[in-house]
Amino acid sequence: MFVVRRMKKHVVTISPAASLYEAREIMRGNNIHQLPVAGENGKLVGILSNRDIREATLPVGILRGATEEEAVELLKKTAVEKVMTRKVTVATLTDTLEDAIVLLHDFRINALPVVDDKGRVAGIITRTDVLKAFIEALGVGEISSRLEVVVPDRPGGLAKIVSIIKGFNVNITSILTTGHAEAGKRTIFFRVATINVLPLKQTIQEAGFEILDPSLYHV
Amino acid sequence: MNRVGFVYHSDYLLHAAPFDHPESPSRLLAIVEHLSSNGIADRMIPIEPVYPGESDILRVHDPEYLRKLEAACRRGDTTLDAEDTYLCRNSYTIALLSAGGAIAGAEAVATGMVRRAFCAVRPPGHHADRHTGMGFCLLNNVAVAARYLQAKHGISRVFIVDWDVHHGNGTQSIFLEDPSVFFFSIHEHPSFLYPGTGRRWETGKGAGEGTTINAPMSPGTGDEEYRLAFEQMLQPAVERFRPEIIMISAGFDAHREDPLADIEVTTEGYRFMTRFVCELAERHCGGKVVSVLEGGYEIPSLVASVAIHVQELLGT
Repeated sequence: MFVVRRMKKHVVTISPAASLYEAREIMRGNNIHQLPVAGENGKLVGILSNRDIREATLPVGILRGATEEEAVELLKKTAVEKVMTRKVTVATLTDTLEDAIVLLHDFRINALPVVDDKGRVAGIITRTDVLKAFIEALGVGEISSRLEVVVPDRPGGLAKIVSIIKGFNVNITSILTTGHAEAGKRTIFFRVATINVLPLKQTIQEAGFEILDPSLYHV
Repeated sequence: MNRVGFVYHSDYLLHAAPFDHPESPSRLLAIVEHLSSNGIADRMIPIEPVYPGESDILRVHDPEYLRKLEAACRRGDTTLDAEDTYLCRNSYTIALLSAGGAIAGAEAVATGMVRRAFCAVRPPGHHADRHTGMGFCLLNNVAVAARYLQAKHGISRVFIVDWDVHHGNGTQSIFLEDPSVFFFSIHEHPSFLYPGTGRRWETGKGAGEGTTINAPMSPGTGDEEYRLAFEQMLQPAVERFRPEIIMISAGFDAHREDPLADIEVTTEGYRFMTRFVCELAERHCGGKVVSVLEGGYEIPSLVASVAIHVQELLGT
């Protein structure tokens, strides 16, 4: 759950003096949508997105009779530093994944360059990386069954359920807990490595907990 | 009435758990007693399962896994994983005989000795992948028989319909990149039921892209939704693929009475599904259908569903 574990470490960067044409080729070649702009000593000075490039060529695009060659010409003579975003939202090497998720969400951005204590580009983390981490945390695709339990929002509920699951000698492959629609309660989401969840569900219910049964969601 | 083979051996009852377990010998015993007492078994042609050669199993499974399974049974291990996939000292031998039952059924259909076959075997198979057993399954019976048909009878295209309520993750992974075996699975949606795979965008890989179809069904759906999926997804897939034989991974745990899942299929639903697959087989592959038992854990509904299934295979 740390940015360092989830970021891409081999970051493609571009220099501020490079042309937009170069930037576009690099993005296409690496199938990426943004490039951190690194100046002297690899220090982060800006970020360039493919949208910045599109917007830079927009005047040519709407001119009557303008050609692709003219657009390329414009890209070739425009430097990255002229259109890049200078005020970059970044994550640091000590940030947690939670920090990154909040930054991506609150600043409505797609990628966060990760910088070291000298301001140099050390990695990049994108919305896709975060979604992948979430898929893994949920245990999607792992051979297991789902179990969702509602507990009173006070200490001990989770521990009781976990010990019931342990009693069945079943491995828990994922746990997630969130607030429940009803006040004073929490929902705990488990994935458990067993096909036969029925006795587990029964024992949890007998212990006084509510199971969120998929049959309750019938349309 | 069609000539329908019935594969069964009383040794199938020798794979038994040392603790309470839904996949118990009593399932099979109940099926056999019901088919016998109702005179249905008399109208079928008994087929003896054979012990397969190791090469028959190795077309599907890793040799390391086979050795591990054999050693675990000999040692007296009681499970392969947690308490799902239990073992006893007989389990390795009976798993071989179970795969051998699917082979014997397939053999009888391929040679024309019978038109269709129902293989009342256990342990079940469709969760077992190349490297390991899981979810009550030790060896993938259907996959072993499909590969046998290809190797011994020169059949190039096999279509597998898996209507067990759990996704047949093992069978899917075995044939994922293989365009010669089509895998169609209809099951409860993986968000709600083991094994958590079988989403609609899992459609095969590499050369096998397009020869896997998954039809995940929401909890609470039943006969009507299954009918639509068969008409709109299964039928066009069979028509496009033009199989030479159709195999069924016939689990009966989508029944509304079954405690392990949340699907509401009725015995009439199994009548519809069986008839539908048989009609597809009539049109495309000379009526050849090999049905192999998978799950089904509520004995009365299991027995009733199997009886209807077999009667539809007989065509009466």
